[in-house]
Amino acid sequence: MTSAEVLLEARGLVVDRGRARVLEDVSLELRAGEAVAVVGPNAAGKSTLVRTLAGLLRPVAGEVRLRGRALAEWPRDAVARTVALVAAEEEGPDTLTVADRVALGRYPHRGPFRRLTSEDEAAVGRALRQTGTLHLAGRRLGTLSAGERQLATLARGLAQEPQVLLLDEPAAHLDIGHQLQLFRALDEVRQCGVAVLAVVHDLGRAAAWAGRMLLVAKGRIAAAGGPTEVLASEAAAAAFGVGIRGHAVPGVPHLLYVFEEGS
Amino acid sequence: MTEARRRLALPVLGVTLLAALLMATSVGSVSLPFRGVAGALLARAGLPVDAAALGPTGEAILFSVRLPRVLLAALVGGGLAVVGATLQAVFRNPLADAGLLGVGSGAAFGAVLAVNAGLASSVFFALPFAAFAGAMIAVLAVYIIAGASGRASLSGLLLTGIAVSALAGAGTSVLLVATEEFRVKAVLFWLAGGLEGRGWTHVQAGAAFVLTGVALLVLLGRPLDVLSLGEEEAASLGLRVRATRLLLLGLASLVGGACTAVAGAVPFVGLMAPHALRPVVGPLGRRLLPAAFLGGAILVVLADLGARTLSESFELPLGALTAFVGAPYFLLALRANEGR
Repeated sequence: MTSAEVLLEARGLVVDRGRARVLEDVSLELRAGEAVAVVGPNAAGKSTLVRTLAGLLRPVAGEVRLRGRALAEWPRDAVARTVALVAAEEEGPDTLTVADRVALGRYPHRGPFRRLTSEDEAAVGRALRQTGTLHLAGRRLGTLSAGERQLATLARGLAQEPQVLLLDEPAAHLDIGHQLQLFRALDEVRQCGVAVLAVVHDLGRAAAWAGRMLLVAKGRIAAAGGPTEVLASEAAAAAFGVGIRGHAVPGVPHLLYVFEEGS
Repeated sequence: MTEARRRLALPVLGVTLLAALLMATSVGSVSLPFRGVAGALLARAGLPVDAAALGPTGEAILFSVRLPRVLLAALVGGGLAVVGATLQAVFRNPLADAGLLGVGSGAAFGAVLAVNAGLASSVFFALPFAAFAGAMIAVLAVYIIAGASGRASLSGLLLTGIAVSALAGAGTSVLLVATEEFRVKAVLFWLAGGLEGRGWTHVQAGAAFVLTGVALLVLLGRPLDVLSLGEEEAASLGLRVRATRLLLLGLASLVGGACTAVAGAVPFVGLMAPHALRPVVGPLGRRLLPAAFLGGAILVVLADLGARTLSESFELPLGALTAFVGAPYFLLALRANEGR
C-alpha cells in the first residue's frame, strides 16, 4: 500500500478562521487507493482540514501539494478535475433534478460554454449507479429525503471523476441502509485507485471502513495509524473524554467498539 | 411527461408572446383590424403582402405609437423576469429581485433629481438617463460599501442593499417635498410605472441594454447554475465565485436599471414569471432564463394593454396593474407552498 503514489500532501499546515487559529502544524500524506478516516471531537478542526486540502481555505503557513506541486500553483479547474469535495450541507435549488445536479459535477471538465459530451453522460450515469441513485435521476431535489440528497451530492462528486475524494461527514443524514451503500460506493472508487479521505463521526463505522485513521484534536493530529491502534491510544480517550474498548467478536471481520463516559 | 412539458415550454411561450403582441398592437383607443395589423407588419418586414387594409392613419398609429410601446413592454417584462431569475439563483432565494441591489430606489432618486432640477421637461431623455444613472450609482455604492469590509459576502450585499435603498428612498422623499408642485406629477407618474408616450428612442435604448444583457446572462447560464449550488460547492467545482457573482450581478443591474429607467417601477414581474416557470422548465439558467424572458414579456404586454384599455377616461399605472395581479398570485403561491 505504501508504494502507491502520494496524491495529496500537507506540510506544516497552519490555518486561521477569522482571528481564531483552527489548525496548527498539520502534516499528512494521502496515497492512491487509500481510505483514510479523519476522526475527532466537535470543533477539532476536521472540516477546516478537509476544506484546506480541497484548496477552499488558504493556510497562513505550510502548504498543500497535489501530485507533488503546490496547490496554489494549480489552475482552479485542474484542481476541481483532480480533487472533489463532498460536504454534508448542500444547498441546491429544490426544483433541480438529480440528473442535472450530478451533471454539474462535469463543470470542471467542460467549463462554462462547451456542451456535455457522451463521455460526460457516461460519467454521470456511472456516478448515479455507484451511489444507487439511478432511480432518482428524474426526481427534483425538493422531493428527496435528506439521505437521498446526500447521496446525490456524493454522485456529483463522483461525476467529477477525481483522483482524490474528500468528504465531510458524508453519512450525516443517512440511515443504516444508505450508510452501507455510501461506504460500498467509496470502496468501489477507492479500488479504482482514487484516494478517499472522509471525516466520519461514527468511530465504529470509521474503524470498519478505513485503512488508516487520523485523530484530529485541538487543531493538531493527535494520533495517526491503523484504526485499531489510533482508537486504543491515550490520545483518543483524552480527545473524546471517553473510554474506548475494542472487542473481537467471532465472525465479525473488525473490532466492535464500546464507549464509556468519563475516563 | 415533465420532459415533454419542458420541451414544449419555449415554443408555447413564443407563440403566446406573438399572439399577445399582435393583440396588443390591434386593441386600443383606436381599434385596428387584426388582419390589417398583421399585413402591415409583414409588409414592413419586406414580405409581398397587401398592406392597404389599415390606411395611412392606421399605419401611423401602428408604427409611431402602438408598436414601439408594445415592443417596449415586451422588452421591459422580459428583462425584469430575467433579472429576477438571475438574482434568485445568485442569492438562492426565490424572493430576490433587482430591488435588493438598490436598482429601484436608486433609479427613483435619479428621476426625482432630474425633475427637481427642471431637466426632465427641458432636455429630451433626461429622466430615463438620470434614472439609469441613479440605479447604477446605487448598485456601485452597494458593491463598494459591502466590499469595503473585506470581501463582499452574500449577506453583506443583502444588508448593504437594504441600507442603500433606504438612504436613496429618504433622499427621494426630501427631494420630492422640495420639488415645485407642477413638476411633482411627472415624477409620480414615472414612479407608478408606465409606458405612456414612450417611442422608438426608448425602444432602441432599452433594447441595447436589455437584449445584450439578457443574451450574456443566458450565455452564462451554466456558471449561474454552479453558483446556485452554494458558494462552497461552486468553489470546489473550480468556479471563481466572487468574480462570477460580480459579473452576473453587474449584468443584472444593467438590465434592471435600463428597464426601470424606461418604464418606472414595474413590480412583481421579476418574481412571478420565474416562479411560475421554474416548475415547468426547471432551474437551469439556459432553460429558465429564455423561458422567463418570454413569460415576463407576455405578462407586461398584457398588463400594459390593460393599463391602456381598462379605463375609458384615463390610463392606469402599469406598475399598479402588475402589482394587482402579482400580489394575489404571490399570496396564493405562498399558500400552496405551505399547504404542501
